[in-house]
Amino acid sequence: MEIFDALMAGFATAITPANLLWALVGCALGTAVGVLPGIGPAVAVAMLLPITAKVDMTASMIFFAGIYYGAMYGGSTTSILLNTPGETASMVTAMEGNKMAKSGRAGAALATAAIGSFVAGTVATVVVTLFAPTVADFAVKLGPPEYFMLMVLAFTTVSAVLGQSSLRGMTALFAGLALGCVGMDQISGAARYTGGKMELLDGIDIVLVAVGLFAVAEVLYAALYEGRVDESQNRLTRVHMTARDWKRSVPAWLRGTLIGTPFGCIPAGGTEIPTFLSYATEKKLAKGEDKAEFGTKGAIEGVAGPEAANNATVTAALIPLLTLGIPTSNTTAVLLGAFQNYGINPGPQLFTSSGALVWALIASLYIGNLMLLVLNLPMVGLWVKLLKIPRPQLYAGILIFATVGAYGMRQSTFDLFLLFGIGLLGVLMRRFDFPTAPVVVGMILGPLAEAQMRNAVSIGEGSWWIFLQRPMSLTLVVIVLAVLILPRSLRHWAERNLARAHQSVDDVS
Amino acid sequence: MTELAPSSDPNLTPADGGSVPSPFWQAAVGAAVILVAAGMAFGALQIPGDAGYGGVGPNFLPWVCAAVLGLCGVLLVREALTGGYRQAADPGGAPRAALVPFAWVTAGLMLNAALIVELGFIIGCTLCYLLAVQGLRRANGQTGRLAPRALAVDLFTGLAISAPVFWLFTQFLAINLPGLTTTGWL
Repeated sequence: MEIFDALMAGFATAITPANLLWALVGCALGTAVGVLPGIGPAVAVAMLLPITAKVDMTASMIFFAGIYYGAMYGGSTTSILLNTPGETASMVTAMEGNKMAKSGRAGAALATAAIGSFVAGTVATVVVTLFAPTVADFAVKLGPPEYFMLMVLAFTTVSAVLGQSSLRGMTALFAGLALGCVGMDQISGAARYTGGKMELLDGIDIVLVAVGLFAVAEVLYAALYEGRVDESQNRLTRVHMTARDWKRSVPAWLRGTLIGTPFGCIPAGGTEIPTFLSYATEKKLAKGEDKAEFGTKGAIEGVAGPEAANNATVTAALIPLLTLGIPTSNTTAVLLGAFQNYGINPGPQLFTSSGALVWALIASLYIGNLMLLVLNLPMVGLWVKLLKIPRPQLYAGILIFATVGAYGMRQSTFDLFLLFGIGLLGVLMRRFDFPTAPVVVGMILGPLAEAQMRNAVSIGEGSWWIFLQRPMSLTLVVIVLAVLILPRSLRHWAERNLARAHQSVDDVS
Repeated sequence: MTELAPSSDPNLTPADGGSVPSPFWQAAVGAAVILVAAGMAFGALQIPGDAGYGGVGPNFLPWVCAAVLGLCGVLLVREALTGGYRQAADPGGAPRAALVPFAWVTAGLMLNAALIVELGFIIGCTLCYLLAVQGLRRANGQTGRLAPRALAVDLFTGLAISAPVFWLFTQFLAINLPGLTTTGWL
């Protein structure tokens, strides 16, 4: 009942006209950046972070949550209608969605994606509502050693497990941690890596790094390498699902939600695994002519399931962010930056110290989901028009917004030069296949993790054994090691088996 | 003196796996990581190590970063020299860099950074847009000629984006952006 009352109070805050307007603008903007290639929710939130200086905290959080959410809806529109692979989150949607669109069923694919996102988003929000306070209650009991190990777990999964290569992931993570070192040390006040430059004493702003790595790098990459982009767009058909489509979609949505939610809850991050899992599940469960549609005409389950899984993961990822202060994706990392701009660190205390804010934010998720359903179903034709903006103009326009984000934060031209440098770094990283998420997560979480580590060691009176002496912390150490070792040994095992199978086939033939 | 001709050197041409950079450049990136690590270690020497109560001082994390980055750099070089980065995905796009479009975009960004305080946000960003769009159009395989009509359209588009953005941020959100005048409108 306590939760229900708190949620109702949250709704009361969220439905004030001003906050509703912020939510609507956020959802619309989010959908737009989701639809537009070359710019994602992390950049959009990062570029708008300067507004935290003036806009009320609750309003801006509702606004940012709308962008975060809206981009997921918008992303599926692009991946279904445009025959170019987009971001990883919507890659799976694109596989079947594209095929459906090519066989004249774009409308059904868009509908199942939007409604599936709504179903999954709402269910996952209920999970957030019910479980976040419980996790927060539990998290209050955690001390610095446990916190530090949780952050190490987040670092490990973001850098070593996701992505192609652990080595490149680790390099990116430590580059991020190194960037986070620049500036004044939080505990002792010692200047680190400032080179005597006053501008660097406050550290490098996350806005600069996010905008540089994602937006400016994207534009520079397009100029350097992209050349002519051969884009073909599928024809938009009436957004409508037949009774049979519904019958096939509903179970897929529910299964996708079931798969996606737990992945969001754990501080591991990434939507790749749950979306691929959902896709594989749907493909396996399909029978007869439905199964034959996979990879040929496009099966609606293959859009419904992964899209639901994606949204469920993204929504549930708010649990580790709000209760533990641990971001597991680029966008949640930037959201954490937004909280920090208001001088609050998300964590177990957030529910007691800023309860009103948290509940208004959660209430706005319910409202935002509903708004997005309306924005994306009847009005999808409007968003599709955005795909007509030619790339050169779009990318050059992104630079203007990048300037606002980078300059608006600190009013320093030094930052604009730095922005270009970080953009070049982003180009190199993309070219050489280094993941960028670990840089942002490392940079934001690094200073927090460092503080927890130093507190932990001082609790242990200078002894590092403290991390192994406490049961929770020891458990986390074991989990981190398992996360590092298990996937690799599983891969080795699978490869060996595969090789053996090939060999026996060769022997027979 | 032999002429440097990167295009004829087999080490410098991309591997045949799409646009994945050649092992030579991969090794160079590894070496750069080692250099950064060395720089970090040098910088860490100047950070006080006073640990206070904790036993861990402000120079601890910098040393860890330097050490791990150094190790990563060495391993990257090793991977590059023994067959290239493992599981490197094709980054997409052309195998060679197009420097002319890049120069246009760079010029736009640099001029904007250098002149934004003097010219104000609207003019600075319009200039940036104007230059960047020329480069991106060339990258996209469109004509490289500077037709007055196209330039005028670009100029207008740049203004039509930067002016409302400026007004939105300065008037509505009260964020300080530099103006040519102090009116808040230009």
